[in-house]
Amino acid sequence: MVREDLVESFCRHAKAMGALTTKVKDVQRMKNEILEFLKPRGQRVAVAVSPLLKSADLEAALKEAGFEVETSGAWFAREADSGIVEFDLGVAETGTLVHDATDLYKRLASMLPLNCVAVLPANRIVRDMTQAFEYYLGQKTWPGYLALVTGPSRTADIERSLTIGVHGPECLLIVLVEEGEGSNAGDSL
Amino acid sequence: MPGTPFKARVRQALLNPTLRGALERFAADYVVAREQVFAGRDFEGLRTKIASIKSAAALQLRELGEEFARQVTLRGGKVFFARDAASAREYVLKVAKEHGVTRVVKSKSFATEEIQLNEYLAEHGIVSYETDLAEWILQLMPGERPSHMVMPAIHLPKEEVAKVFSRHKGRPVEPDIKTMVRIAREELRDKFLTAGLGITGANIAVAETGTIILFTNEGNARLATTLPPVHIAVVGYEKLVPRIKDVLPILEALPRSGTAQPITSYVTMITGPVPVGGVEGTALKEFHVVLLDNGRLEMARDPVFREALQCIRCAACTNVCPVFQLVSGQVYGFVYSGGIGSILTAFFNSVEQAADPQSLCIGCRRCTEVCPAKINIPDLVLELRKRIAREHGMPFSYRLALRGVVAKPKVMQGVLALGKKLQRPVTGGQPFIRSLPGPFKGWTEGRSLPALSSRPLRERIRDLEKAPVEPRLTAAFYAGCVIDYVYPEIGEAIFRVLQGAGVQVRFPLDQGCCGAPALYTGDIETALKLARWNIEVLERASTGVIITACPTCAVALKHKLPSLLSGEPTWYERALDIAAKVKDFNELVQEMEVSFPGFSTGERIKITYHDSCHYKRHLGLAQVAREVLKRHKGVELVEMQESDRCCGFGGSYTLKYPEISQALLERKLRRILESGARIVVTDCPGCLVQLRGGLDKTSSPVLAKHTAEILAAGQDLR
Ligand code: SF4
Ligand code: SF4
Repeated sequence: MVREDLVESFCRHAKAMGALTTKVKDVQRMKNEILEFLKPRGQRVAVAVSPLLKSADLEAALKEAGFEVETSGAWFAREADSGIVEFDLGVAETGTLVHDATDLYKRLASMLPLNCVAVLPANRIVRDMTQAFEYYLGQKTWPGYLALVTGPSRTADIERSLTIGVHGPECLLIVLVEEGEGSNAGDSL
Repeated sequence: MPGTPFKARVRQALLNPTLRGALERFAADYVVAREQVFAGRDFEGLRTKIASIKSAAALQLRELGEEFARQVTLRGGKVFFARDAASAREYVLKVAKEHGVTRVVKSKSFATEEIQLNEYLAEHGIVSYETDLAEWILQLMPGERPSHMVMPAIHLPKEEVAKVFSRHKGRPVEPDIKTMVRIAREELRDKFLTAGLGITGANIAVAETGTIILFTNEGNARLATTLPPVHIAVVGYEKLVPRIKDVLPILEALPRSGTAQPITSYVTMITGPVPVGGVEGTALKEFHVVLLDNGRLEMARDPVFREALQCIRCAACTNVCPVFQLVSGQVYGFVYSGGIGSILTAFFNSVEQAADPQSLCIGCRRCTEVCPAKINIPDLVLELRKRIAREHGMPFSYRLALRGVVAKPKVMQGVLALGKKLQRPVTGGQPFIRSLPGPFKGWTEGRSLPALSSRPLRERIRDLEKAPVEPRLTAAFYAGCVIDYVYPEIGEAIFRVLQGAGVQVRFPLDQGCCGAPALYTGDIETALKLARWNIEVLERASTGVIITACPTCAVALKHKLPSLLSGEPTWYERALDIAAKVKDFNELVQEMEVSFPGFSTGERIKITYHDSCHYKRHLGLAQVAREVLKRHKGVELVEMQESDRCCGFGGSYTLKYPEISQALLERKLRRILESGARIVVTDCPGCLVQLRGGLDKTSSPVLAKHTAEILAAGQDLR
């Protein structure tokens, strides 16, 4: 599959699983998109810092726009309205986001708040789970906490009626960035 | 034994319309959704892969466990090998005590239910909170049983849940699902943040890397493994696979099979301890795995039951099981429900506790079509039934009937001849027994029983056995008890059709019962006796082909005889020779390309076809039957919905669980009527007993016929 097809397929499947997706040209537009999304969703934002987010200087942009930003601490993300996390890979076949979430802040930012912004370089979308596994098998050690995330947190436990936002986020926005490298972007992709 | 608590539970479930409604709606949606989510995928290939990974793993569980433990330890975690439930519980308590834990958060886990961990911890002053929404709701309802393995609260309407929440909160809660989910989020979030210990199970454990894998939609397992400073995973040995790549096919099949989702919202793969907080988020969590044996290693040594260790607990088998849909997991009891649950219960709990649950399986084989681990559940249930009968004996009435009568063909012929005379008071000369007195009343509740024919087939063959002028083939006809004694007209039809096609048909008079009734109730001794008897009789007939028109008999002759006699080389060879000659009536008609001109009146009759479970899923002849019917010019075949859903006959099952059998029949009759056909056709005389009985009881104008009867009818059908 060529890159555009992968991106298209990824977005289609992610949407089918209840995620919002948006494609942006560069990190500047990424910041705008994120600010737009966060505006109606509360003041407190937890950012799991990663090279891409750092290089975009997202923290400063958020503060400038009047958000309260957390990046660490014992109470990280507990009271936050939204969390922002960069992911390692997207899996086109199911619209799944994958990351090595051994880092505690990555986990907390994507688990605790009601809203989650997932940032993913568009060139990091693979075809299927086999390729995703191969990517991590190519690393020295298998990650301590590998998380596959597909759409928002959901339950159908009461009358099989689909309800989102049970223990994790109720809203998942995936921002695909076309230019700019991923944090640990191997050339292996 | 109509009064046992188990049967009372069955009856209670059948009388609960909310439960039944919820399960039936789910089952109907599930079939469609499952089909869609597997569309374009090679399901057979996928499940072959899973079966081969898991069956190989089952042969080396101990080694895999050791390798897994080595890897977990290398990564800084701890593994405890728990021989039984008690040692697993004690270990968890010890770890909890070491850390001064008073509150535990749990994400849904069968293994912890199996070892009754919550109760045990509670006895020691530790409170466990289930965090899966459905499990939490059930926890707030003491005494309530889970109704489904994957969706334990599927039977509760939202109004009921609102009542539970109102009681719990001490204030009125509206029956609005979104609101209730929010209440659960807030209340459980607090538990996550304050618990000293998180306990989970695992869906998969990987030896190569020491990884455990958890599938959830709600995200509760993520929180339970991230927030508390200690994590214990209680993992059954059967979850082990050798390599990380072995996860892929399971990942593909499990959510698709369980809830017809392409993937669950979260799949979490944990390898060793990870940071849990402290200064700059660097302090490491404590990570323990309790590797639970509790009967699994014994199961792995068992050449027959080892297969059940392939189970990935997706619940697809119960989702399609017609019996489960009627009674739900609440009836099966214990932790694991459905047919597979009864097998697991036999090893993880005890054979005694599995005795009632296993008896619910009607053997329709529907589950074998969807099991992603390719487990032959009904055959394992039969094996279990055998062992129960061997170790605990059968009810006296069964033993008398099977050993004293069925096992001795000559005696049986005499008893049936006598029965023919004695039945007059209840039949009044009609072909049906419409009601029986006293304790047998339930047997004729929604279905009339057939009367024995006044002239069994064996008494008619002198007139029937005429040789065609130049026979193309000589065949023996193995009629089986139902055709011989109840519906001899089917036998006559077969003689007529085959003779018309140039076949010389012989009827070996000494043929005995095929042994299926004995086999399906676990009486191997009787089944063996009959197997040898029939082999001798059929050898003496010395024909190249043996015709059957009853799938139960066909399965018995073709498959069960060799497997029964596999321990006795000479008998085994003889059984194989006989098995090779057995051919279903339709198969022969199709092979000989017999054609049927249609009715002399020129009319076309609408018929619908009911797939007998054994005929379709054991013999694989569903298509052949339809093609054969189309050879008859006077027939217009219209398909009914759910044509391959069990009609509820199942031999002695009908007598053991008349209410279940009848509920299945009612649904079948509804589908038949909806099809608008005048005749329902099937290839199983047992199904005919059930269908004709139900049609008679409801005074339906629809007729039920065997395919042979349709083909033999040149004039008209009555
Ligand atoms: S064979 Fe039929 S009745 Fe038995 S477990 Fe499977 S689906 Fe249920
Ligand atoms: S027996 Fe098969 S279908 Fe049933 S839960 Fe196990 S894997 Fe799934």
